[in-house]
Amino acid sequence: MSLCDAEKTFILHGVKENFRVDGRDREGYRPIELETNIVQHAFGSARLRLANTDVLVAVKLEIDVPFPERPFEGKLEFFVDCSANATPDFEGRGGETLAAELANILTSAYRSPQTFNLKKLCILKGRKCWKICVDILILECGGNLFDAVSLAVKAALHNSQIPLIKSINIDGDNIELNVSDSVFDCEKLDVANAPVMVTVCKIGDQCIVDPSLAEEQCSVGSVVVAISQEYFSTVTSIGKGSLHPRTMCNSLELGQKVGIRLNKAFMETLHNIQPDEDVGFLK
Amino acid sequence: MPIDHKRINGPEESVPYELFARLSGITSEKTFEETQSANIRTDGRKFDEQRKIFLKNGVVSQAKGSAYMEMGQTKVMVSVFDPREIPNRSDYSLKGEIYCEFKFAPFSCPKRRLHQQDNEEKQYSSIMKKALESTVCLHELPNFQVDIYALVLHNDGSALSAAINAAGVALAEAGVPIYDIVASVTVGVQQGINFLDPTLSEEQMCQTQLTTEKFPNPNHAVVIISKLPMQQQLCQFHQTGYMSLDQLKSALELLTKTCETIVPLVQKCLLSLVTNSIKP
Repeated sequence: MSLCDAEKTFILHGVKENFRVDGRDREGYRPIELETNIVQHAFGSARLRLANTDVLVAVKLEIDVPFPERPFEGKLEFFVDCSANATPDFEGRGGETLAAELANILTSAYRSPQTFNLKKLCILKGRKCWKICVDILILECGGNLFDAVSLAVKAALHNSQIPLIKSINIDGDNIELNVSDSVFDCEKLDVANAPVMVTVCKIGDQCIVDPSLAEEQCSVGSVVVAISQEYFSTVTSIGKGSLHPRTMCNSLELGQKVGIRLNKAFMETLHNIQPDEDVGFLK
Repeated sequence: MPIDHKRINGPEESVPYELFARLSGITSEKTFEETQSANIRTDGRKFDEQRKIFLKNGVVSQAKGSAYMEMGQTKVMVSVFDPREIPNRSDYSLKGEIYCEFKFAPFSCPKRRLHQQDNEEKQYSSIMKKALESTVCLHELPNFQVDIYALVLHNDGSALSAAINAAGVALAEAGVPIYDIVASVTVGVQQGINFLDPTLSEEQMCQTQLTTEKFPNPNHAVVIISKLPMQQQLCQFHQTGYMSLDQLKSALELLTKTCETIVPLVQKCLLSLVTNSIKP
């Protein structure tokens, strides 16, 4: 998408007046659509649509050996795939840098034990643990990818169920795990503290959240803030621009304020989702 | 991850011996407790004191510009090569591009590193690229790419900051147009204490959460910033861990202030470069 100068000025003035092109104020989000449990073969899944950004996340579980330096912890890995459906730019290896950036930010946001407790994924100290593979598929790109991905990941993890292990037989180096026969004997993951990301974009002298594609073009610099409760789990600057330290402080404040609000609303929605509703995408 | 079969990577499943040494009881909690009670760091520094810096330019004769930096024990070498046309690109781009490769030497860390870039190194490369993209005047290099390679010879914490600092000097020596000198500093946070310019053990301590019963404060993080001091701009900011807004603000203030102290060193280094080149 490329904009001419007049269009950019129009967006800039809108932001200044606190009345953006689509009628939102500076702290407003576009409508979010969320569905969970839509992929049959996954342990948990979610699809999130934020205006024109569309993300599908599926969680797969595997049994693995813990890292030798952290024998009490399970593993959590993120894989991002930018489908060429989203934009022709992603064709071939085009989406690789963006995918790597997304996976890096997610990994660093989920690293602290305060945000996500990996110790619960340990089955047998130093020998067996659960490995959660979070596969993120970007179906459509309409701006503000980071926020959409973080919310979708959170929803997919919330939706995931870990099968219960009834007993472990150890015979020397041989370990046998007995998984419960009933499909309903599952444990939910605790995602109350899982981070949500807020992209704060500087346009003109003001900072806005949830930029659309056009607004991203006008921005001089953006900061992605990952908020867990009221704490920051990751802050990183993206894009080519630079920011004044004072602007950085303002963005952090705005990001925290919006992040807390977004997280609260999102958790409420997650708890209100009815199971087995047969409507929507992939159904 | 695909393994390069042409190289001998050593035994596939091996464990660094430090893991067994750690069983003897030196934990992050213990280190922190000792540091806190002594009110001085293990290497005798104050909490807001940097390590000694050594900076030298022109260390690689084949490169257009290069620099070597030591921050305490951390040793990093950076080389910058001539701008060249962006490879594998059919369309003309008005702006230039930066290519960064950050690499830990196989012997630089307690654990042996592989020859191929791992995820951490790739992330550091992209953070470094981010910092240098806003430093270099990319509009003056249309359709060109500047290659920057950073190699860490010894990692004793703050390696990324050292690499970014050295890259600034190397870029200046290479004659690549830049807006300003780039200065980068790292801070580690644990229990509300800011460890400026942390060593490797402090960095590791700040990345983990200490047992909550003894240490109720959940703040623990590592923050890296890069700044263009004359322009008063942050060209890169990265934080990972878990910290409150107030803590983050105090860390940011400390970091922006410390960035200024690196500038005179870089200036001195560049000045000697100029005087040496005009001497008969």
